Amino acid sequence: MSTSEDEQERELEALLELSRRGRAKLERLHEVLTTPGHYGTGATPAQIVYTENKLRLLRLLDESGQPRAGKPAVLFVPAPVSRYFIVDLLPGRSFAGHVAAAGFDVFVIDFGTPTSEDRYADLAYYVDGLVRRSVRMVTTITGQPAINVVGYCLGGTLSLLYSALYPETVARLVLLTTMVDGDVQGGIAWVAHRMGLEGESYDNPRLVPAAEVKSWFEMLAPGSNSLVGRVSDLWDRLDDPAARLRDVRTMATWVDDVVPAPGRLLAELYRQFGPGRNSLMTGRTTVGTRVVELAAVRMPLLSVSAEKDAIAPPEGADAIVKIVPHAEVLRLPGGHVGIVAGRTAASLWQRTVEFLASPRG
Amino acid sequence: MTIDAKAAKDHSVVERWIEDQREWQKTAMTYLDSMVKNDDFLVHLGNAMRGSLLAGKPYPTAPPAAAAPAQEAPADDRLDRVLFALHEMQGQLNDLRLTLDELRNGGKGKPTAMSRAKKATSSKATAKVRRRTTGARKAGKKRG
Repeated sequence: MSTSEDEQERELEALLELSRRGRAKLERLHEVLTTPGHYGTGATPAQIVYTENKLRLLRLLDESGQPRAGKPAVLFVPAPVSRYFIVDLLPGRSFAGHVAAAGFDVFVIDFGTPTSEDRYADLAYYVDGLVRRSVRMVTTITGQPAINVVGYCLGGTLSLLYSALYPETVARLVLLTTMVDGDVQGGIAWVAHRMGLEGESYDNPRLVPAAEVKSWFEMLAPGSNSLVGRVSDLWDRLDDPAARLRDVRTMATWVDDVVPAPGRLLAELYRQFGPGRNSLMTGRTTVGTRVVELAAVRMPLLSVSAEKDAIAPPEGADAIVKIVPHAEVLRLPGGHVGIVAGRTAASLWQRTVEFLASPRG
Repeated sequence: MTIDAKAAKDHSVVERWIEDQREWQKTAMTYLDSMVKNDDFLVHLGNAMRGSLLAGKPYPTAPPAAAAPAQEAPADDRLDRVLFALHEMQGQLNDLRLTLDELRNGGKGKPTAMSRAKKATSSKATAKVRRRTTGARKAGKKRG
């Protein structure tokens, strides 16, 4: 055989291999797309103990289907602009489930999906309404006058404001990837500011469509707003085993399944916490007619930031020590979502359990 | 390499190529089959073609420019204002109920009226949850 024939054969073999790999990826994709998973239902068995408007307050159950009554209560407050199940993603990868298994009576707020009339919901409606009544329900059900609160992202902001207004009802507070310094570059408010957007109208608010909320997140995550980049990422991932891809799919579903946002809430968040306003750092935050006194936050507080967080930059979260000096700050490797539900999230879960279980100093 | 050996090897490459084409046909048929039989599959496939593994709903995309005015706040928002005011009232009523519960229990915070009002919701949800775990199903039978 001549050299050119050898080359031809090698090329043909390479083409065949390429074809085989491509087909294997498509077969794996087909398997993943046709396999049901835990999409938006929460992984841990739970009962609904309270409903209000679109909100559902879930209480996690143990293996025998019973609530963990008598254990210290923990309330998870996720962000109202995304879906709650990030804290209860998959069996074996559930933050809330891990905390429950560690011996806590866990409750999770699902804010639900806002509809047209909810565009009038403001900060007071969330903090002094939905969150306050959820805490009240938990204290009523458990008989515990003060409970532990774990807030994620914007849910952390709501939790911090609530804890400042009603400190006697919060035993310990955990803030996860929660921005407090709006002047730190990065984050949605900063991007909006940089782009010169006027922001939402407080007086004549709209329900901001999910696609628009999604586009803001995409602006913050380099590459995710490029169709070619996203398809290329997915194509590369299709080499992973199908079981791993199913996990990835559940996470991807959370990332892409954003909900519409109440325009009035966004207007108020931007007006109070956006760049140049930064009311949390300057001590001028208000919820309704009440001025928030962060000095009232005397309960033990753990604030966790993520090194590679583009949505809530770690410097903006770690600044909590400037306004709540006794706060314990922890920065973990990973991104905004990964530290809560990724493959390395177990370190956050364990640290949270240790913090919640440690004797009050 | 002898002429026979070369022919056998060429034949083998051709054979594998033909076999590969057959496999591609099978893969294509699998996809076509799912498109016909599974209503959600097209949505999921459409998402994948956008690089997303989002399940259960189409990828959130901005409506075309012509539809943009629909995103503005509606001109007549009275119905929405009334509905939202009702939601606020629902919350205030729940607060009142909780306060009444506390008063009935001497401020000890045990659920009575409020929890009874929610019992139907809770038991429905619990029943749904119980169906998801074998252990829970057994517990349910014992209770029944």
